[in-house]
Amino acid sequence: MRTTQTPSDRRLRRRRSGLRAVLGLASASLLVSVCGVAFAAWPVTVTDDLGREVRLEAAPQRIVSLVPSHTETVCALGACERLVGRDTFSDHPAAVLALPDLGSAFTPDLEALVALRPDLVLVDAYSGAADALAPLGIAVYAGTPQRLDQVFELIERLGRLLDASTEAEGLQGRLRGELDAVAALVAGRERPSVFFEIDPSPYSVGPDGFIGTLITLAGGRNVIPAHLGDFPLVDPEFVVAADPEVIVLADAVYGVDLAALQARPGWAGIAALRSGRVVELDQAQSDVLSRAGPRLVEALLVLARAFHPEAF
Amino acid sequence: MAGRRLVGPLTLSLMALLALVVLAAGVGSVQLGPAEVLAATGRGLEASLRDLVGLAPAAEVSALDPGRRVADTIVWQIRLPRVALAALVGAALALAGAGFQGVFRNPLADPYLLGAASGAGFAASLVMVAGGTLGLMGNFSVPLAAFVGASATVLVVVSLARRGWTLPVVPMVLAGVVVGSCLAAGTSFVLLAAREQAAGILTWLLGSLAFASWERVGSVLPLVLVAAVALLSAARALDVLQLGESAAAQLGVPVEALKLTVVAAGTLATAAAVSVAGVIGFVGLVVPHAVRLALGPDHRRLVPIAALWGAGFMVLADLVARTVIAPAELPVGVVTALVGAPFFLMLLRRGSAA
Repeated sequence: MRTTQTPSDRRLRRRRSGLRAVLGLASASLLVSVCGVAFAAWPVTVTDDLGREVRLEAAPQRIVSLVPSHTETVCALGACERLVGRDTFSDHPAAVLALPDLGSAFTPDLEALVALRPDLVLVDAYSGAADALAPLGIAVYAGTPQRLDQVFELIERLGRLLDASTEAEGLQGRLRGELDAVAALVAGRERPSVFFEIDPSPYSVGPDGFIGTLITLAGGRNVIPAHLGDFPLVDPEFVVAADPEVIVLADAVYGVDLAALQARPGWAGIAALRSGRVVELDQAQSDVLSRAGPRLVEALLVLARAFHPEAF
Repeated sequence: MAGRRLVGPLTLSLMALLALVVLAAGVGSVQLGPAEVLAATGRGLEASLRDLVGLAPAAEVSALDPGRRVADTIVWQIRLPRVALAALVGAALALAGAGFQGVFRNPLADPYLLGAASGAGFAASLVMVAGGTLGLMGNFSVPLAAFVGASATVLVVVSLARRGWTLPVVPMVLAGVVVGSCLAAGTSFVLLAAREQAAGILTWLLGSLAFASWERVGSVLPLVLVAAVALLSAARALDVLQLGESAAAQLGVPVEALKLTVVAAGTLATAAAVSVAGVIGFVGLVVPHAVRLALGPDHRRLVPIAALWGAGFMVLADLVARTVIAPAELPVGVVTALVGAPFFLMLLRRGSAA
């Protein structure tokens, strides 16, 4: 028999009592809202990207996220333990890998999803899952941020839905501060012209989308004009004529590298190839840039380091 | 008598289909025992019947224990509508395939010969890009667009190919191919232009029975029934048509009316199937051939048996699609093609050996 408590025992006990307090609070708020007495802000109503009202009677305790950036946002709001299921591509933070995998966001395993008894499901706006789940009486939030300001919007909305508005404000403040800090590091420096390649078609990004905005904040000048849209397919000739000083390869994970660019007709003379400023992103870097979520500062740093290595 | 030679195969096919439906209802990514599936089905049926006659539900849904509620939802609202929709779609495609192969007297004819698939795909992808966010018809905007796109395309093809009041077969097939590839190019353009929605559009184009619901089953059932009745009543005339159009006309078959009826019925069935399940290949091509191989070319047998076999094949293909790599799902069109293509090649080999 041990008579003294070890620190880990104490931590465990504290965590347990914390959990009990949370459960107690949740059931209390449920009870109060059932009785029809106004308590906090419940029920909460949030409008999603499909223009539908998502109404929750109490803070959700069993959340399924079918979008990687939503999974990251939920965890960044301190609600990781409330996740009970995820899509195949949600792999960050590592803790979510232990959750049941429900398949792709576009054809999720509905049976397994329902069996998890979720009280909130987060889906992409273009997945049919939103239409399929609503008639089953499951609350669904549909919408994926495509632009930088929408990341902050999603944090705010999820903050309200999850009863984590304080955390949401904190997260927004921290992210804004860090974005400003990185932007200040590169401010006033010569802005290199940048071509960002998503795949070898080549698809690129416009200046107004998530990545495009980060390119500007990181002190780069996107060679793609705004009127081409957020994800334009560009003529290789256009890239040669634009003569970018830096090329970022988000398709490096698919095997595109400096040598492959040099082999493209006419590309060897592009400034970025002559100076060797071709940045091959690894999987983790591609992930943070392709997910408009709470790791946007990491994404910004990847670009800022590529454009202004001397500033770091 | 044709009648007696129909009853045996029809009964056997019905029983086989029923067995497949029971199997498909019992198997899914969530393991449920036969007793649970039966009980959930019973409760679902009871609730729907009460709803139908305006009675109050037997028990408040929220009063059920959570485990039972989950089983009810999975069996009655996810799995059974999906199985029923698979059966309907398979039957519709096989009916259309049998009709088109008969009327065009071409073994390569399939439900999409006249451009229905490309028309549906183009209209559906447009709506997914433009209308999806508008929420015009909510849940039904994409199926409705696909149905209209498929029917309108065939209408255009038929009016391009008609010579006065006759419908010559070869121009009709050619017009179908050309209009079809034109619309397919349009779909490709939409796919490339709307990169964010591309994954959703592609999932639809490849064909999927995910997100089936009783509403969708209900919206398609009458259309498929009408097409089935029309094709069944045309079956005898289709038999005579196999002698050639002029011979059939001399034997008293109203050839032009027959062609129009079969094309219209086949298109109705195809459009209905495509609207709820996307473009699923090979069912409409292969199933009628399989029936012909097993039971002979008599359309009075071919048409009804093909519908049943098509339904069974589709239920089985969807069962494979949703279980073999669960929780991920294979596009059901990939399953039908993987099974259908080798089977069809085998038929071809046999045909050329004979």
